[in-house]
Amino acid sequence: MNFLQRIIIEPFESCYEKMLTFLPYFLTSLALFIAGIILGVVLRVIFLRIFRAVNLDRATERLGLFEMFSKSGIKEPPSSFIARIIEWLTIFTFAVVALQTLKIPTVEHLLERFFLYLPNVFTAAVILLFGYVLGNFFGRAALIACVNAGLKKAGTLGRLVKITVFILSATMALEQLGIGRETVIIAFAIVFGGIVLALAIAFGFGGRKMAKDYLEKNIESKKEETRDEIDHL
Amino acid sequence: MTGAVTQREGVHERITGIGEADILVGIPSYNNARTIGHVVKAVQAGFAKYFPDKRTVLVNSDGGSTDGTMDVVQATTIDDFSSILLSHRVASFSKIATPYHGIPGKGSAFRTVFEIARALGVKACAVVDSDLRSITPEWIELLIKPVVNDGYDYVSPLYHRHKYDGTITNSIVYPLTRSLYGKIVRQPIGGDFGFSGKLAQFYLTKDVWETDVARYGIDIWMTTTAIANGFSVCQSFLGAKIHDAKDPGADLSAMLFQVVAATFGLMEEYVSMWKKVSETKKVPVFGFHYEVGLEPVSVNIQRMIDKFTLGTRELVPIWENILSGDTLGFLRKLSQASQKKFRMPDEIWADIVYSFALAAHSKIINQEHLLKSLTPLYIGRTASFVIEAWESNAPEVEEKIEHLCRVYEQLKPSFANRWT
Repeated sequence: MNFLQRIIIEPFESCYEKMLTFLPYFLTSLALFIAGIILGVVLRVIFLRIFRAVNLDRATERLGLFEMFSKSGIKEPPSSFIARIIEWLTIFTFAVVALQTLKIPTVEHLLERFFLYLPNVFTAAVILLFGYVLGNFFGRAALIACVNAGLKKAGTLGRLVKITVFILSATMALEQLGIGRETVIIAFAIVFGGIVLALAIAFGFGGRKMAKDYLEKNIESKKEETRDEIDHL
Repeated sequence: MTGAVTQREGVHERITGIGEADILVGIPSYNNARTIGHVVKAVQAGFAKYFPDKRTVLVNSDGGSTDGTMDVVQATTIDDFSSILLSHRVASFSKIATPYHGIPGKGSAFRTVFEIARALGVKACAVVDSDLRSITPEWIELLIKPVVNDGYDYVSPLYHRHKYDGTITNSIVYPLTRSLYGKIVRQPIGGDFGFSGKLAQFYLTKDVWETDVARYGIDIWMTTTAIANGFSVCQSFLGAKIHDAKDPGADLSAMLFQVVAATFGLMEEYVSMWKKVSETKKVPVFGFHYEVGLEPVSVNIQRMIDKFTLGTRELVPIWENILSGDTLGFLRKLSQASQKKFRMPDEIWADIVYSFALAAHSKIINQEHLLKSLTPLYIGRTASFVIEAWESNAPEVEEKIEHLCRVYEQLKPSFANRWT
């Protein structure tokens, strides 16, 4: 009897007691999770209306974000997409809080580490987004300036500016995430410096004639420009 | 900020010393020591010859010249009036030479002129460029007398110019101003204007001095503001406009951007006014018309076509958001045409300008990018115009510009409908 008590009944009672203690946490957690889902849906509807009222889609179009969304395969308008992200962020936040409410030490520890890392992810995402927007902006500005200056390689130069800005932002984002901090910076410096050096050497040695022709042509075209005497105003 | 220049040490004392004046002529300058002396003499002679009984002031508003422009202004004077056949006594003539503050540009220089005009309570003003070689004393009479004698508020210049000169005026600003605001003002950005003291004060009430108006946009802003606000406008024939060789480093796209941005900005401001205008009217013209010999202008058509072709190759993704499919198709074909067959019809050009105005209104992309991307198209249009007008004389060229204006007027109703 004593044996049966120790092997079966006591563990069962202990488990039952633990379940009794855990159940309120579980129910609270479940309630929080459901509340999160409802709140997420409500917030999505509210934010969608706000975004449409302030004409967010047109603003993102101007910033070039619409293009970025399309290229990433997102077919819905940015207003709807961002509202959906807000919905899922709300649900996710409530899910995390719900998990913490369960009071499971391992989960708590994991969540703590996750929360400490989360700001880095957010900052990196913002840096990438800004990098994309700025890359587009400066790339377009460089393209137009090069076209107006009559540079035949305007398209290449515009793309180069765009890519450089984006790579710079990606390097900063990776550094923010702590991924290969030094490696990324050194790699960037080596690649960038290498490109410049390669171009300088190629232009100086391999393309001496080309450089000569280019400079002569450029100086010649400058001479022509002074001969163009139209007064535009 | 308004009135700040008149409180500045030196300027305040000069204004207090002068007290009141009847007529003021402003000369904006920046490193024009070589040419400004002639302009100062012409202005002084104009005052003495045509307004001997008026209290006159010459204001040089300088952008920080390093070549002694202001010293030249102070030192230049007509000592012997008999050489210009003048023997009568002159009432009073004063000079103020001061650097202007604010964004570097002609508009900021004019603001200083307006402020001094207000402080002195002048009845009539004029502004003339500091690099003019063809200015005569008669210009002062022609710019000021319509204000003093006939009660006009704004006198726009009318010049004889080389057929290839003033292409931004001829292909964009003149036709657009004419079709939108209904007044035939041939040189809305001529640069030399006469205006009443009342209008100078009105200009100062506007908060535009941190925008492109402070730079090249000032001319179109002054003209449009005068027309759109119901001030009486006339034109004076000044003869030939010849000025110092332009700065070869002057950036065409920046110039085009500033002028077009100011023009489009004014369209936003006066939308309710221009939407109601359905016909164009002539404005009175003063001055004696005569033919003048003009210096030849050299152009490199092939380089212009090359720039247009480069723009068509690289900027189509931007233009796709602005221009119609038909227009884009035409531009693609044109970029492959030989110099002999290179023609951009008036209908296409007017549609391009209206489409850019609509795009600027809708704020599709950054305004500077949008308007600077117009440069290759403008260069293409200029090349086409030069080719078309190669064999034409002045009246024939004027007829071509008249045709372009009529096209702008025909397309205006559809443009106005699309402007929401």
